[in-house]
Amino acid sequence: MIYGFFPGCAYQAAAGYKESVDSLCNLLGIELREIEDWNCCGATAAFSCDRHKALALTGRLFALAARQGFDEIVTVCNACYSTLKKAAKLLGSDPGLLENVNRSLKAESLELSAPVPVKHLLEVMFRDREKLSWPEGPCRLPKDIKVATYYGCQLTRPWQNVPRALRPDLMEQLFTVAGLETVDHSARTLCCGASHAVAYPGQCRVLVSRIVNEIKAKGGTLVATICPLCQFNLDQGQHGSYRAKLPVAYFTQVLGLALGLPPAELGLKKLLVPLKNIPAG
Amino acid sequence: MIGKGYCVQADLEKKLQAEILGREPGNSILTCIQCGTCSGSCPLADAMDAGPRALFALIRDGQVEQALRSNTSWYCVSCYQCMVQCPQQIPITDIMYLLKQLSLEQGLVPRDNKMPDLYAAFERQVNLFGKVSEALLMADYGIKHPLDVMANAAAAVKLLAKGRLHLVPRKIEAPRRLQAMIDAAGQKEHAR
Ligand code: SF4
Ligand code: SF4
Repeated sequence: MIYGFFPGCAYQAAAGYKESVDSLCNLLGIELREIEDWNCCGATAAFSCDRHKALALTGRLFALAARQGFDEIVTVCNACYSTLKKAAKLLGSDPGLLENVNRSLKAESLELSAPVPVKHLLEVMFRDREKLSWPEGPCRLPKDIKVATYYGCQLTRPWQNVPRALRPDLMEQLFTVAGLETVDHSARTLCCGASHAVAYPGQCRVLVSRIVNEIKAKGGTLVATICPLCQFNLDQGQHGSYRAKLPVAYFTQVLGLALGLPPAELGLKKLLVPLKNIPAG
Repeated sequence: MIGKGYCVQADLEKKLQAEILGREPGNSILTCIQCGTCSGSCPLADAMDAGPRALFALIRDGQVEQALRSNTSWYCVSCYQCMVQCPQQIPITDIMYLLKQLSLEQGLVPRDNKMPDLYAAFERQVNLFGKVSEALLMADYGIKHPLDVMANAAAAVKLLAKGRLHLVPRKIEAPRRLQAMIDAAGQKEHAR
């Protein structure tokens, strides 16, 4: 499977996300082809300040993806996902907005006839699961590790097409393919504080402990995330806490471990709260 | 335009109210049934002067200055929880964006509010490089808010040790062209 890939700005510094996405995709037979010369999607900052600027940034991405022959854009970040989805909805339903974007795209010698559909890597992995090469054998994650999924806010919000928006189970279903079971809890789509963690770390700590405490109370010992911001806020947000810390990894790291990929290839060393009982490699 | 900290005159307040309620997305405030589901589901309601429900009541009552001076829209993290739940399908988060823009324009942003500086630093990164590197974003934001950045110094050291801090910016091929594109697109949302 070949996908048009939009890594987004936070991906490169994210704790082992790239390493684990690379090794997992390699194993499953997925080729992520980066959209050449991609730009920042603008995130919520751009939409907060000026909708037209925000749409120009996303418009450029859609135009690049279309010109490079991709019929969908795959992201690994919830903020990129929801920003692009929101833009796609607006540009697809309001010709005036599309026209305005095309006017500004002239500066880049680009043109956009229609926005390109946007998917999270998690979605396409599950959708195309039958076309991927899953290794045989039982789940390789040690039995004493109890995985809890955490989706964060953006994946399931207004522009989503993820089923069961308030109680998503896409990750659970994908994990089942690898024989991995998860613990149930009610913090799956609570907000981690996103970029507010920079300016208001105090308030955001409350949000983080709400999530971490719920997961711990339900017996989770490892969190699987799908967004660099979520992962960072949950991982870093436990810093300085006197309580036992909960390791927070990416779904690609967890899936990689379950499928028997060597920990060293999953970038586990980069997590701030270390994953005990697994040698990081 | 009035100066920072001055009281908005009654007629200006009326004008702002009309501007908010007169078109999308603000006009949907008129359909708010004040059920409070938004404030009940907002993760940051505790930190807000007024939750979204109370904020909309203020605007409807004509207390627009108080609404624009409140920290509510600045504490909104765009999690869209309220929007998913609102029985009236009011685009609450989009209204928060409109209020941020209006309060900036009117010089009514609460003094201790840091989000405009974070947004500005973000915009500078995008304009300069087309891509954002966290380390540089923090350095830029840190010029105005050194304490916030210093509070994260321990984390920064850890990130550096783990090879996760990138101090050299990544750039798109032609940042200047991108900036020209953004400038061409820019126009104030509510002044269409
Ligand atoms: S949830 Fe919707 S209808 Fe209810 S108070 Fe909030 S904005 Fe108004
Ligand atoms: S989108 Fe903003 S106002 Fe709505 S629940 Fe989230 S933080 Fe609160």
